[in-house]
Amino acid sequence: MTSSSPDPAGSIAGADGHPADDLLASYATGRAGGVAVWSVEAHLTSCARCRTTLAVYADAERLARNQSVLLVRIALPEGGRMRRLLCRCGIPDDMLHLLAATPSLRKSWLLSVAGVLAVVAGEAVAVRYGWISAGSPAGAFSGHPGPAVLVPFLLVAPLLVLAGVAAAFLPMFDPAAQLAVAAPFSGFSLLLIRAVSALAAALVPVLAAALVVPGPGWLPVALLLPTLALCAFALAAATLMEPRAAVATAGALWALPGLLLAAAHTPLLIVQGNAQLACAALLCASALVVLVRRNRFEMGWTR
Amino acid sequence: MDEMTANVSTAAVRADGLSRRYGATRALGGVDLGLERGITGLLGPNGAGKTTLLSILATVNEPDTGNVSVFGLDPRDAAERVEIRRRLGYLPQELGYHRHFTVAGFLGYVAILKEITDRRRRAEEVAKVLAAVGLEARARTRIRALSGGMRQRLGIAQALLGQPALLILDEPTAGLDPEQRLRFRELLSELPGNPVIVLSTHQADDIAAICPQVVVLLQGQVRFAGTPAELAAAAAGHVWTAAERHPSAHVSWRGGDGRWRHIGDSPPAGAEPVAPTVEDGYLLLSHAAGTR
Repeated sequence: MTSSSPDPAGSIAGADGHPADDLLASYATGRAGGVAVWSVEAHLTSCARCRTTLAVYADAERLARNQSVLLVRIALPEGGRMRRLLCRCGIPDDMLHLLAATPSLRKSWLLSVAGVLAVVAGEAVAVRYGWISAGSPAGAFSGHPGPAVLVPFLLVAPLLVLAGVAAAFLPMFDPAAQLAVAAPFSGFSLLLIRAVSALAAALVPVLAAALVVPGPGWLPVALLLPTLALCAFALAAATLMEPRAAVATAGALWALPGLLLAAAHTPLLIVQGNAQLACAALLCASALVVLVRRNRFEMGWTR
Repeated sequence: MDEMTANVSTAAVRADGLSRRYGATRALGGVDLGLERGITGLLGPNGAGKTTLLSILATVNEPDTGNVSVFGLDPRDAAERVEIRRRLGYLPQELGYHRHFTVAGFLGYVAILKEITDRRRRAEEVAKVLAAVGLEARARTRIRALSGGMRQRLGIAQALLGQPALLILDEPTAGLDPEQRLRFRELLSELPGNPVIVLSTHQADDIAAICPQVVVLLQGQVRFAGTPAELAAAAAGHVWTAAERHPSAHVSWRGGDGRWRHIGDSPPAGAEPVAPTVEDGYLLLSHAAGTR
């Protein structure tokens, strides 16, 4: 070597300025340690002769295996910015990988939810600014546009969250559901991870839209409990009946009273007073059923 | 049948009296089965109950009656069921994929479900199974861009993750070309750890080529359990070839040489008896069971 910089292999170089063959052999088999490894590697970058010598000692199978592992590690999804951000927040990477299989956490799904919310909330906003004529004010809500304008939002918003949670556990949305059932990873844990994540992801745009719609200021908070109760009920019912029927029942449990109250011009009663108490009771009862019957989620949906 | 019963009682994977109905349809009717380490082929027509049986052994389905024991573990017990699943590799008959995943991403997902949470170990396992099925070059390919054969190989790869002690493969060679089927046979023969492997197939030549043991399932019941040679021998004296088709034969078809191959009770005049194959034995059993 004729470089003007100090020879990085100086401490291990033989009389000819190259590492000894036994050192190259130990490097090739991974037995060399510490400074010796660095020195050899620095020397190899500029010495074709030693690279050729090294090839004699290299374990081809190990090299091929390492190459495969390297390629796979490149291919294993590091994820986009959101995934890296969530990793930095302490969420384990393998959990994020499980969530990547949840359709209601994909960008396309969330954009669809945002789109629907934009339509229903946009309609209410349009009434607020007089772009669309409003219904007559009533009772405690004078000063706001008629509560009838909130009907589409009140009906749709919790159902959007329910749809997201349903997509997280219904087998029809998981093409590899049988593999998940046959795997040792707890089916109940997997369901909770996905359902809670889908719930949170859908709640954010819903509550944001609730802040925008021209309703009472307490509307976003008032929507929270019924939405949670609806999703918990769907999960609980899925332990007792066919999962799609459970989700449909939960949807009907919200839509029918909502439509009836809308017909009676009192749509906001569905998120007030007694309704909140009923939702709290339903949430507690559903959570208990899910906990007691959690083994149902370990066996798939074959019965 | 007594020898079969005796083998069931000491087998690594045992099924005793399994029955399963779907509404009015009886999928399994009192199946007794014993599987040892090595490869067992499960042969039967569509609707014979193969998929139901395999799904029960894979703990993704429950029998109406009967017991299953996998390495001494009972899948009805929640903790033991998880333990079975830790030792299990399963390829369902109709496996769907998350099409937005890459090949390596999907295998990484399944590896996590198999509790391979360490990232480095997961990468090593994924690399190993990719190499085993010849999909290393496709690690970064989206699943939606794969051909049917590649997806089938991917399905086999995910079943191999974690070096399972019990490998259940439902129609693993469907969609594979002859070269890939040959490679699949070699792959199964070289699996480390001598696992219990059971695979279902319609292809009698797959059975003959790779399965030391074969079980024939017809109309939800086990009609034969033994070696491929014994299955072929069951048709001894019942197989012949002739220049013409004979109406008294149970099954007839024209071979590539232009002669008719017959399976039946008695050869017609001028027919030449031939050595039976595994397929002949299977067809004869099917006819006896009334499925042909």
